[in-house]
Amino acid sequence: MLKYSYDSLVYYGEDVEKSIERLAKFGYDAIELVGEPDNYDTKQVRKLVSDYGISVSSICSIYNEQRDLAHPDPAKRRQAIDYVKRVADMSAEVGAPVMIVAPTACMKTSSLADIEDEIKWAIEGIREGGEYAAKLNVKLCIEAWNRYETYMLNRLDQAIDMMKKVNLPNVGIMGDTFHMNIEEADIAEAIRKSGDALIHIHFADSNRAAPGMGHIDFAPILKALKEINYQGYVTFEILPAAADPFGVMRRGGGQEFFDNYTKKCIDYIKSIEKAIAKGDEIQ
Amino acid sequence: MKFGASTFIWVSPFSNDTLDLIDKVKNMGFDYIEICIEDPQTIDTASIRNRLNQTGVEALVCGAFGANRDISSEDSGIREKGVEYIKTCIDIAAELNSPLVSGPMYSATGKTRLLSPAEKKQQWDWAVENMRIVADYAESKGIKLAVEPLNRFETDFINTVEQGLDFLEKVDRDNVGLLLDTFHMNLEEKNIPDAIKRAGSKLFNFHSCENDRGTPGTGHIPWNDVFQALNEISYDGPVVIESFTTEIKEIARAVSQWRPLAPSQDSIGSDGLRFLKRVVSS
Repeated sequence: MLKYSYDSLVYYGEDVEKSIERLAKFGYDAIELVGEPDNYDTKQVRKLVSDYGISVSSICSIYNEQRDLAHPDPAKRRQAIDYVKRVADMSAEVGAPVMIVAPTACMKTSSLADIEDEIKWAIEGIREGGEYAAKLNVKLCIEAWNRYETYMLNRLDQAIDMMKKVNLPNVGIMGDTFHMNIEEADIAEAIRKSGDALIHIHFADSNRAAPGMGHIDFAPILKALKEINYQGYVTFEILPAAADPFGVMRRGGGQEFFDNYTKKCIDYIKSIEKAIAKGDEIQ
Repeated sequence: MKFGASTFIWVSPFSNDTLDLIDKVKNMGFDYIEICIEDPQTIDTASIRNRLNQTGVEALVCGAFGANRDISSEDSGIREKGVEYIKTCIDIAAELNSPLVSGPMYSATGKTRLLSPAEKKQQWDWAVENMRIVADYAESKGIKLAVEPLNRFETDFINTVEQGLDFLEKVDRDNVGLLLDTFHMNLEEKNIPDAIKRAGSKLFNFHSCENDRGTPGTGHIPWNDVFQALNEISYDGPVVIESFTTEIKEIARAVSQWRPLAPSQDSIGSDGLRFLKRVVSS
């Protein structure tokens, strides 16, 4: 049985209790919180998830210009590492086992220095953050994004390569089916190849809407997760169709991502999970 | 079915220095070379025509729409330059016997702003008005225009076939149709074969690209279903492989292609063509 979570990133501006209540109502096991430690009263969040009978699966960190682990300026890198540590603290406080780490800023599509140097700085930053998080019992997962959001890591094998260089037991990688649909030759195969390294995954359809609304075939993906004995959460991260989905939400768009898509996501994937389980029984 | 290769697989901009590409695609077995007109100054139609005649390869002309050639810009001077540029591409097409001028000609590529409905309408109105001007000009030379939807990261204007057809309806000229590219469709369409069928007789040009723009056949585009859909709508236009060389940094940046997607650029053409021909004949 898979565990399900939903990225509250798309519940833009909503009070966290309302989000938690919605997810509990639709049968979710957990919520993914946005990596903005200042926006949460972590004690209250911990109590709320426990009251509603769910947990916090993970923290979706936000890596922007001010939080760029690969920045050529050491002061900027220090700022980014401090951010990673603050999110690690937040993860521990709300009981999230995993937090996302990205080696550079989102939407940064050209390097500011020699790319090999940038990769080296990113590895150093992730390692320092990882060592800090290890003491809090928090894992870091390195995320690859599609080519329009970063030049650095576009595929899971690139993320694994970086993970190996970081070389810490609490640092793994994550996948996101929206990005993988653009970048991977075969999504299920990329998951199988990742094996134990894969500690977190985001689901969205090819157009970043709720699974079932695009053309990704999720059955082989669920089978691959089963094959690698995936123990993490399946977290839906779905976003409006724009180069800047957050801009859409700031303008009050994306209302369908609240009740409507929240229900759709879990119902659709659970129905596939059930069909696969049934098929296995017959065999 | 006739196949083409885009000059973007190897070079940018195309010029007399790279005329040998015409022989290269001929030897690979392509029928068309799609020549992208980044800078009309580098296009010597007499020399190109000469080489086309020698090899028997046919030309397709495709536009590159930078910030200074934008028929839906707020700046009337830039709109004007956009119209002039498309007309130049039409002239080049006529001289090279290309039946088409293709590309995302409605806007500058990379414009991904969040517009209010009123701003969007204004942008569309300018694009429609100017498309009619260039369509009528193209008509006088017997050329058709193929408008290409791009994915959300490259334009805020036309992302899907549905939006493309809506645009065509407003432009209301018979010689204006669509260029569909499977790379963009993989991001934006709910169902790629259905979207192709929806375009039907308005499909003028087709780019057969893998989901990562690597060699066709090495990713997850449903090629059998794609060609079945093309068959169903009796598509008889070109099928063109387009990818971009990462060796030219400006181009790599413009299309966000950061890693080599195949063992060599040649293999995208030759292995891709072999694969597509196999799909068509099966």
